[in-house]
Amino acid sequence: MSGEEEENAAELKIGDEFLKAKCLMNCEVSLILDHKYEQLRHMSEDPLNQVSQVFEKSLQYVKRFSRYKNPDAVRQVREILSRYQLTEFELCVLGNLCPETVEEAIAMVPSMKSC
Amino acid sequence: MFFHITLERNMQLHPRHFGRNLRENLIAKLMKDVEGTCSGRHGFVVAITGIENVGKGLIRDGTGFVTFPVKYRCVVFRPFKGQILEAVVTMVNKMGFFAEAGPVQIFVSNHLIPDDMEFQSGDMPNYTTSDGSVKIQKDSEVRLKLIGTRVDATEIFCIGTIKDDFLGVINDPTTA
Repeated sequence: MSGEEEENAAELKIGDEFLKAKCLMNCEVSLILDHKYEQLRHMSEDPLNQVSQVFEKSLQYVKRFSRYKNPDAVRQVREILSRYQLTEFELCVLGNLCPETVEEAIAMVPSMKSC
Repeated sequence: MFFHITLERNMQLHPRHFGRNLRENLIAKLMKDVEGTCSGRHGFVVAITGIENVGKGLIRDGTGFVTFPVKYRCVVFRPFKGQILEAVVTMVNKMGFFAEAGPVQIFVSNHLIPDDMEFQSGDMPNYTTSDGSVKIQKDSEVRLKLIGTRVDATEIFCIGTIKDDFLGVINDPTTA
């Protein structure tokens, strides 16, 4: 494992495992968790009792910080951002924070500078 | 940051669950065991989204329990040092403030809050700039950078800063 090495997201040192993994934007997580929550609701009367605190907190968080609600918009954001040679992690940071200027984008994702 | 990854786990199943519902029982147990847990390597397991593969079971000598290797896909939340993210302020005191980003708690010390922001006590403690234009209090939304993580057996705790460009309050609950 390369996990012993100091991790630093600014330099994209997040471990091989996560660098290659599929990264999710908050809005995508919101869609997935909402779907799962709906499924649970069909199965039992009291879905809040069924889910873990981690699930509940994550759902609240992604709902609060989702920039795009509509699934088509979410797909488009990912499609547009994936045209550029960004890693999954960079793509999701940009998708989550929506920087407005180049300076802001580089401050949010310093690893882009070297591109 | 949230990730969608594949993990593997050896599940032990009691013989009373064997039968045609074996797979369902196995998956229900997996969800109960894994969802909501936290490990230093993978972060918080938020939700299992699918089962990729259930391997051949191995009967354990003496007990009758069977161990199945199960591969499953799940959504995990893993904070990284150096990452920038948004969080909701949960508590403010003179030492700094606490914020939450999903399941993870983040502490921002008053040394890592810009120097022009002063602590104001009262029933709604907050940090305010001298001209009063920016205010951090409970329920404010802030954008912060993680500068340290501490991993416990069951929790990840982070230290953050808002003393950098493009960081700080993004939404004030009093003006919204």
